[in-house]
Amino acid sequence: MGFLAPWFLAGLAAIGLPLWVHLLRRHKSEPLPFSSLMFFEKRTQSSIKHRRLQHLLLLAARLAMIILLALAFASPYIMKKVTAGGGEAALRIIAIDDSFSMRAGNRMERAKAEARALLNNWRPAQQGQVIALSRQVRLLTQPTNSAEELRAAIDSLTPGDGRSSYGEFARALRATAESLKKPIEVHLISDMQKSSRPPSFADLRLDANTTLTIHDVGSATPNWTVESVNAPRRFSDPKRVRIFATAAAFAAPAATKQITVACNGKTVATKSVNIPANGRASAEFLGVEAPHGLNRCEARIDGADALPQDDAHLFSLERSDPRRILFVHEGRSQRDLLYYRSAIESSSESNFAIEPVAADAASNAGLDKFAFVVLSDVAQLSASLEENLRKYVRNGGSLLIALGPSAAARSTVPVLGLKINSSAYASRAGERFQLLGAGDDTHAALRNTNRWENVKFYQTIRVDAPEARIVARLADQSPVLLEQRSGEGRVLVFTSTFDNIANDFPLHPSFIPFVEQTARYLSGYEDTTAGYTVASTFELRREGAQAEAVEVLGPDGARALTLQEAARAKTLTLDNPGYYEVRRGSGRNELVAVNIDRRESDLEPLPKESVELWQGRRPDADVQSAAAGRPFEEQKPENLWWWFVLALAVVALAESVLASRYLGMRT
Amino acid sequence: MQQRFLDPSVLASISNLELVAKTVVDGFVAGLHRSPDFGFSQEFAEYRMYSQGDDLRHVDWNVFARTERCYLKRYRGETNTLVTVLLDASNSMAYTSHTVTKLNYARFIASSLLYLANHQRDATGVVVFDDEVRNIVRPSSRQGQLARLTHAIEHAEPGKRTDFQKPFVLCQELLKRRGIIIVISDFWADPALVVKTMQPLRYHGNELVLVHILDPQELRPELREPRILLDMETDDSLEVSPEYVATDYRQKIDAHVEALRSEARGSGIDYFLARTDRPLDECLREYLMVRQGRM
Repeated sequence: MGFLAPWFLAGLAAIGLPLWVHLLRRHKSEPLPFSSLMFFEKRTQSSIKHRRLQHLLLLAARLAMIILLALAFASPYIMKKVTAGGGEAALRIIAIDDSFSMRAGNRMERAKAEARALLNNWRPAQQGQVIALSRQVRLLTQPTNSAEELRAAIDSLTPGDGRSSYGEFARALRATAESLKKPIEVHLISDMQKSSRPPSFADLRLDANTTLTIHDVGSATPNWTVESVNAPRRFSDPKRVRIFATAAAFAAPAATKQITVACNGKTVATKSVNIPANGRASAEFLGVEAPHGLNRCEARIDGADALPQDDAHLFSLERSDPRRILFVHEGRSQRDLLYYRSAIESSSESNFAIEPVAADAASNAGLDKFAFVVLSDVAQLSASLEENLRKYVRNGGSLLIALGPSAAARSTVPVLGLKINSSAYASRAGERFQLLGAGDDTHAALRNTNRWENVKFYQTIRVDAPEARIVARLADQSPVLLEQRSGEGRVLVFTSTFDNIANDFPLHPSFIPFVEQTARYLSGYEDTTAGYTVASTFELRREGAQAEAVEVLGPDGARALTLQEAARAKTLTLDNPGYYEVRRGSGRNELVAVNIDRRESDLEPLPKESVELWQGRRPDADVQSAAAGRPFEEQKPENLWWWFVLALAVVALAESVLASRYLGMRT
Repeated sequence: MQQRFLDPSVLASISNLELVAKTVVDGFVAGLHRSPDFGFSQEFAEYRMYSQGDDLRHVDWNVFARTERCYLKRYRGETNTLVTVLLDASNSMAYTSHTVTKLNYARFIASSLLYLANHQRDATGVVVFDDEVRNIVRPSSRQGQLARLTHAIEHAEPGKRTDFQKPFVLCQELLKRRGIIIVISDFWADPALVVKTMQPLRYHGNELVLVHILDPQELRPELREPRILLDMETDDSLEVSPEYVATDYRQKIDAHVEALRSEARGSGIDYFLARTDRPLDECLREYLMVRQGRM
């Protein structure tokens, strides 16, 4: 017998408490008034007699309660012999890895052969179950005695496109053991990829009644793949398109490989790269000629390896006319327009064209054709334009408002109606300038901008915006960039200008990514992720967006959504690699390229030590017998805390009865 | 039905002591309290043969005319005796183990006896004492005496320790006429000393009655564990064990009661023990039996 948490035995020291109550505390009784002590004699009681244990049963019950409580917390256990690995009661689970990496060589065939070997010598009473292990654990059969049923499930298995996760597998086994309450004998047949292991080994822990036997059908095999492609999703000028393709070598020697970029099946460019052993190399492609519209492109490496399915990396390119930005300004100075336009045009991935208009001439502008609108330090707006802008934002349009000296003449921020408090000059506050204090780096406007380092703000407009999301603050805590939603649209308010007068932001390198990313964010292009992998989810419609039908065609050309899903589903799980064509009711179409998770391309197996550790250390003989499906006996601790708690409850009941009997009648 | 009202705990709830006395006494047999002397009242007592030397004025001539024999006609005499209650109001009298303190019980007995005596037109008085005489109402049969007595008894509060010496010397000076002196106390003193203190009164021709008030816990105390006991009069404390209380103490208190009884009887003093858990009328009945109709 032992204790799983022996430090709780320190609680036994508490037995002094009832002893104190029974021995010492009784000695300090309150004096009892009596009419006369004439007939009483002073009798010195011996200390033993004084401290005689009265209510011995009660004391014993109290001591027993404390001892039992301490023992229960210390989790006593006894070692018990249990039959595992093939015992009559044990459920034998055959788990076969059908992730993408099992396509390499003849791994799947070997795995099936191993599984079939386990079905040989199948006893009639033996229960078994076949499960498949990829991105999630799938039950191919229910627990059954029929070897034929299990064999059919094994034969039907083919390698998939998902990524295996041993952490998910261990979690499923724990849940099964918890629900079945009987021993489980698990045979995992897998290529034991190192990349499938969870970050923490603790996630692989199994229930005490579960025995795991691993059948490794993999080995370190050289593999090359295009790990990632960095390309603009949309472009208008083919000459400015720049594509970066990164090739990776896993367990492979240094080699020279060809990377080919093709669009719509037509080779666009080919480059040769020297990939170091177990390393990476990139190739840059400039100027991709592609027709207008959505283009299915891929970057392919001439792998000639065991896993040819991961040689190509799919991506989509959309060629379209530049999207227009309505730039409303005062017209007196062109400085803000100059800097903003320069920033937009200097970005390689931007696909925008600026359309400037003076504030007094913008009343009749049709706003729907613009990606978003910029109000650059506008003093006066006609009532009709302001109303049009409000409607435009409520219906999903976006607005970027820059506030400067002209806007300071207003009492409120246009469109939003936020109160303008004052115009703050850094020089008047005793500072020459203000720097950025705190910023929300998760916001698109601040991403990759190096937190606007060394940008000096000389003048800002103080705005009272209690409900707005403050994206950036100056060192004096005044907001410099804030976002407020209105209806379905979003409005960004920059409390300074783009004219290099109120600040020197346009002269800093961070201005270009700021302008580019705010443009993409406000136009809605920012929301779409460039790279999708199998089993990831694609957002069909935004939360709170108006219901519009979305039609999705899968890689096989068939509809991926039912009619009901097309009308209501918020997300789509991308199950297969290839191109998904998303057609929205508004006419905006998208081409989503889905690739295999590149961690599956790394065929390096788990170290032998990790495999042994996961299986549990036990004598080789036991491992062998388990591998052969024969029952073996092993010592397992059986926790006894429950029995101690039960005894504690009984003693507590007895204590309450005794206490009421002894103390309830006390005079 | 009568018993229910005479329960000490019930009487304790009656605030008017005169009403308590009336409740107790009115349910009682009247007439037990009779003078043993013959006198000149109108109440016929008996006939007796004439013997030489008898006063001829008492001869019933009507009987002589019918029988030619001389008989003397005798009448029951009416005496006016003095009844004085000495009430111990020491601190030990405040002890109780239930609802009625010994002092309250003593109040009930004193007021009942004085009511009884007053009802017979005896002169009644009361002396409240502890180690000093705290209050005196001189014996009288005037109208309103009962109210004065009950007022004095009602306002007797537990005082200090008991000392019989001083109050009894004072009583000797006060009570010039013969009468009945009823001492109500818990008598926490040496019985010989108590009786010795009272003997002068007895020699003076008074009849003495000792009413020994004790709480049941004083006679048969029960302790479940060693306790420290605090003397209510001296504030001394003593740790006593349950064994001692169950054995030695009981013997000693029994011996004390018996010693007081025998010492009193030996000196011609009546004694009776009144336990505070007994009904009051039962106690009075015992008292009158002790008195054997002499009162």
